[in-house]
Amino acid sequence: MKPNEPTAITAESLDRASIIVWVWLVGLLGAGMMVFMLPIPRTPALLLIFGISAFKATLVLRDYMHLKGEKMLIYAIALTPLLLAIALALVLIPDIVFRR
Amino acid sequence: MSTAVQTASAEIQVGHETAILPSGKLGVWWFIASEIMVFGGLIGTYVLLRVAHGGWSDQASHVNWRLGAINTLVLVTSSLTMILALNAVRVERRERAARFLLLTVLLGLTFLGIKSIEYTHELGEGFTPASGMFWSFYYIMTGLHGLHVLGGIILNATLYVAAVRGTLWSDNRRARVEFAGLYWHFVDVVWIFLFPLLYLA
Repeated sequence: MKPNEPTAITAESLDRASIIVWVWLVGLLGAGMMVFMLPIPRTPALLLIFGISAFKATLVLRDYMHLKGEKMLIYAIALTPLLLAIALALVLIPDIVFRR
Repeated sequence: MSTAVQTASAEIQVGHETAILPSGKLGVWWFIASEIMVFGGLIGTYVLLRVAHGGWSDQASHVNWRLGAINTLVLVTSSLTMILALNAVRVERRERAARFLLLTVLLGLTFLGIKSIEYTHELGEGFTPASGMFWSFYYIMTGLHGLHVLGGIILNATLYVAAVRGTLWSDNRRARVEFAGLYWHFVDVVWIFLFPLLYLA
C-alpha cells in the first residue's frame, strides 16, 4: 500500500471499535467501584480511583472525540485551558500550606 | 491520515483528510476550551478547599453513590449511542442515525431523572446548598453539569427532528452531528471526574 493511500474500513468496523471502547469504559467503571468497596487504605484507593477516571476520560477523548487523529491546533486549544486550570490550583497551594 | 468508509453504494471519506480545519469544528473546540476553564476552576477550588479543611468526608457520606454509579453508566452509554449515530450519519444510514440520536436524548433524560430523584432525596433529608461547603460545591457542580446535559439533550433532540424530517442530510448540516457529539462527549468526560470527586472521595 502506498504511504498516503486511504485505508478502507467498513461502517461495521467503526461501530465495533466504538462498542469495544464502551465495554472498556463499563469495565473500568466496575473496577473503580470495586476499589471503592474493597477494604483498601484510603489514599491508595483514591489514587487508583482517580487513575481509572483519568484512563476513562482519555478513552473518550481519544476514541469518541477523535483526538487521536486530530491536528496539533486542536491539542493546543484543548490543553491550554487545562494547563491554566492546573496552574491556577498550583499557585493557590502555598496559601493552604502556610495557613496551617 | 485519511480514512475511507466503504458501504454497499458509496465510499465516504471520514476523519481528518482536509488540510484546513473546518471553522465549525474549531468553534466547538474553542467552546470546549472555555468550558474546561469553567469546570477546571470549579474542580480545582473544590479539591484545594477539601484538602485545606477537614470534615467534608462526613458530609459526602450522605450522597447516594449507587445512583451516581448508575448515572455514570447511563452517561457513558449515551456517549456510545452518540458515536453510533455519527457513524450512521457518515454512511447515510438515515433511520439508524435517527434511532441512535433518539436513544441519546432518552439516556440524557434518564440521567436528569435519576439526578432529580437524588436531589429530592437529599433536600428531603435537609441537605441544602447552605448545609455546608461540601453541599454548596455538590449542588453547584452537579447543577451546572445538569444544565450542560439539558443543553445537549435540546441539541440532540433538534438533530433528531431534523433527521426524521430529512433536513439533516446536506453536507454542512451533517457535520452538526459531529459537533453535537464533541459537546456531548465532553459533558461525559466532566462527569467521569465529578463522580469520584463527589461520590467516592
